[in-house]
Amino acid sequence: MKKLVSLFLVLALALSVMSFATAEEPFEISILLPEFPADIDFVMDNNPVLEKIQELSGVKLNIQWGPNSTYGDILNTTLADKNPPMLIAATDARAPIIVNSARAGAFWDLTEAVKDEANYPYLAAGNDGVYNNIAVDGHVYGIYRSRAFPRGGIYYRCDIAKEAGIEKTPETLEELTALAEALAAYGKEHDAYALNMCSYTAGTVSVITVAFGAPNTWGVDENGDIYPAHKSPAYLEGLNWLRHLYEIGGIDPNFVQISTSDWDTIERNNKGYMRFDCLDNAHRQQEWFENNAGVEEQIFQTVGPLAKADGTISVWPQNAGFNGEILVTKSVSEADLPKVLKFLDWCNSSDGQTIINAGLEGLTYDVNDAGFRYVPEEKVEEYTKNSQMYHNNINQMGMGVPGNLENPKSDPTYGKKTQLRQRYEDLNAELAQYAVLNPCYPFVSETYTAFGSDLDTRINDAAAQYIAGMIDEDGLRAAWDEWAAMGGDQVTAEFNEAYHAAQN
Amino acid sequence: MAKKQAEAKAIHGTGSEYWRRLLADCKRDKWLYLLLIPGLIYFIVFKYLPMFGIVIAFENYVPYSGVLGSQWVGLKWFEYFFKFPAWIDYLKNTLILSLMNIVLFFPAPIILALLLNEMMNLRYKKLLQTLLYVPHFISIVIVVSITFVMFGPSGIVYKLTERVLGHPINYMGSPDTFRWMIIGQTIWKETGWGTIIFLAALTNVDTQLYEAAMVDGAGRLRRLWHITLPAIRSTIVLMLILRMGSVLDTGYDHLILMANPLNRRVSQTLDVFVYQQGIQSGQFSYASAIGLMKSIISVSLVLASNKIAHMLGEQGLY
Repeated sequence: MKKLVSLFLVLALALSVMSFATAEEPFEISILLPEFPADIDFVMDNNPVLEKIQELSGVKLNIQWGPNSTYGDILNTTLADKNPPMLIAATDARAPIIVNSARAGAFWDLTEAVKDEANYPYLAAGNDGVYNNIAVDGHVYGIYRSRAFPRGGIYYRCDIAKEAGIEKTPETLEELTALAEALAAYGKEHDAYALNMCSYTAGTVSVITVAFGAPNTWGVDENGDIYPAHKSPAYLEGLNWLRHLYEIGGIDPNFVQISTSDWDTIERNNKGYMRFDCLDNAHRQQEWFENNAGVEEQIFQTVGPLAKADGTISVWPQNAGFNGEILVTKSVSEADLPKVLKFLDWCNSSDGQTIINAGLEGLTYDVNDAGFRYVPEEKVEEYTKNSQMYHNNINQMGMGVPGNLENPKSDPTYGKKTQLRQRYEDLNAELAQYAVLNPCYPFVSETYTAFGSDLDTRINDAAAQYIAGMIDEDGLRAAWDEWAAMGGDQVTAEFNEAYHAAQN
Repeated sequence: MAKKQAEAKAIHGTGSEYWRRLLADCKRDKWLYLLLIPGLIYFIVFKYLPMFGIVIAFENYVPYSGVLGSQWVGLKWFEYFFKFPAWIDYLKNTLILSLMNIVLFFPAPIILALLLNEMMNLRYKKLLQTLLYVPHFISIVIVVSITFVMFGPSGIVYKLTERVLGHPINYMGSPDTFRWMIIGQTIWKETGWGTIIFLAALTNVDTQLYEAAMVDGAGRLRRLWHITLPAIRSTIVLMLILRMGSVLDTGYDHLILMANPLNRRVSQTLDVFVYQQGIQSGQFSYASAIGLMKSIISVSLVLASNKIAHMLGEQGLY
């Protein structure tokens, strides 16, 4: 009952917020975007970035922000509204509410539009495979937000490793173990931990288990049947690796109580030396140290493909080439749909990408002699403030469907003393060929839609408890059996059915 | 109101004795009935009308299609809930937490109210009462944060137990301590506030009874046992019956704040599950179905405990 009352309240609130553009004014587009915390609040009025967007695209943007930490909740309550914003950034294209709403007709079907090269050249330049991945029952309802692929990986403090006696960047799992053990021993003397883990354990576990050869979430066995990743012996090997590191004091015993928002801080306080997460975080951390701690040499290093004992390599992709999508809701009338699509097309153009991803020249960046974007040292403070006030999370509507068309592009040697950014681009290209894909991504399982969050939590919690030594292997297997009984087997069967149907 | 009754009379035609008397009553006490209207409207608009939303528990509700347009699925969501044995865990966690709450927290305000009642210095009593009310106004988010600071791995309590026992106790990340922490926080936050109703009941006790008992040589404890407690007994029973109605309500905000992967086994209650399904996963129908089931059980518990109270000779709820 409480829920219903709150739904009514949300409805009333949203209705009062909605405003409709009149004929004379530029076409107004409302959009819901996730907001990541910043020190200074975003300014909507007299915002030069928004004004420039309006000037170039002829559209007035009305942005509604939803804090990223509760964005899923906000998305659900927003879609419960009869008049949601015209555009909605969905961070999870497979969330039940998105799939159900799409099937009910809450979004415009864009299947034809994304093939329309004449009217929407940039949208049509997108990757058909990715469009297929975000499709529901074969219909495309949104424009995906492309992301560097595979992006997932390992980075560590190479300066600490050197002090701990390891100079070489690991190239095999064995070398990674040696590095982790050396960092753990060093960390013991310096009140720090080798592996920086937090309450979000799924990413860390995936990086190491897939490196050991486990499938990504779902695997296909020799009979061509779908099975869950934890049934693979390599998954247990990966967990054992983490458990061993925990035992020798290489992981903070209280990692489950550490919030994701403290994850970066731990590294910045020199309390964690290695992380299994997104590779691009390495150069961001390096740049933070350069700007805030006066560090000059390269202190972070990213790890490339890791060979298993048998010489094979497998890599966990943090994403499938995209991170969610921008949906067009039925708040857009059929007559206005081309205008909205035209705007989305513009966002993917060179002009659109540059302003959405980087802001404005002279406000958030300068252009150097080589024609690259950069932030001069003396303006770092000013530009950071500007970008929080005027630009900040606008980049959340960046799609980059036709690839990077930014002009000018960002300086690949930005951060002068480090080549980490360049290495990131190179590594991504190299890692991509070893990326293990989730074969069930395009499918929808009814049981998973109803119980998936609970089932996933069971697997993740059991892994965390096993790593922390709270349960032994029997306990872990008991938790997996419980997973199967609680609906896991049913989900496996449903995915199998969908998978076999798609194969034929 | 009167007109409505007249209409009703016209419809029913027979004009029974009952309606005539009601009409006469309404005419006589029309101002009193007028006073009733705002309250009535409040209940109709905010309590009764939203109840029609319950139908989404029997639908595959998609907000875009609306309550009327969504597909009717009957008891599907109820079947779903019982399909896999996870619900046993949720129910068990809910009941254990509630039981601990009733056994440990429920008597706390009564004891505190009795203690306050025995205080002689009125000024000091008032000051103490005010101080005891303060925790009630502190947000649960802050309470949990304070707990983290004190009981977390770098907290004073954690360090102290480590020194005394020789090994640390993981207060915040263990299924064994979770429920005790929750109850402890509840007692700290709500005990003072809970005394209000009992203190009010205590002011009704006839002081002559105490004087008479004193003359007869009754000590403090005897007076407490034979006069004070019987005097507030019906209030205690009433509060207990009302409490029975919320046996399945554990709230979700407090538990979600305290939950983490290591204690999820015990922190997952029905309310938390409803929140996760409804708000976090957007499964409005599924969440409503579970909520509806919970409400039905709660109402039956209230009715049953009221019956028991009657049988024990108490006045009960009605």
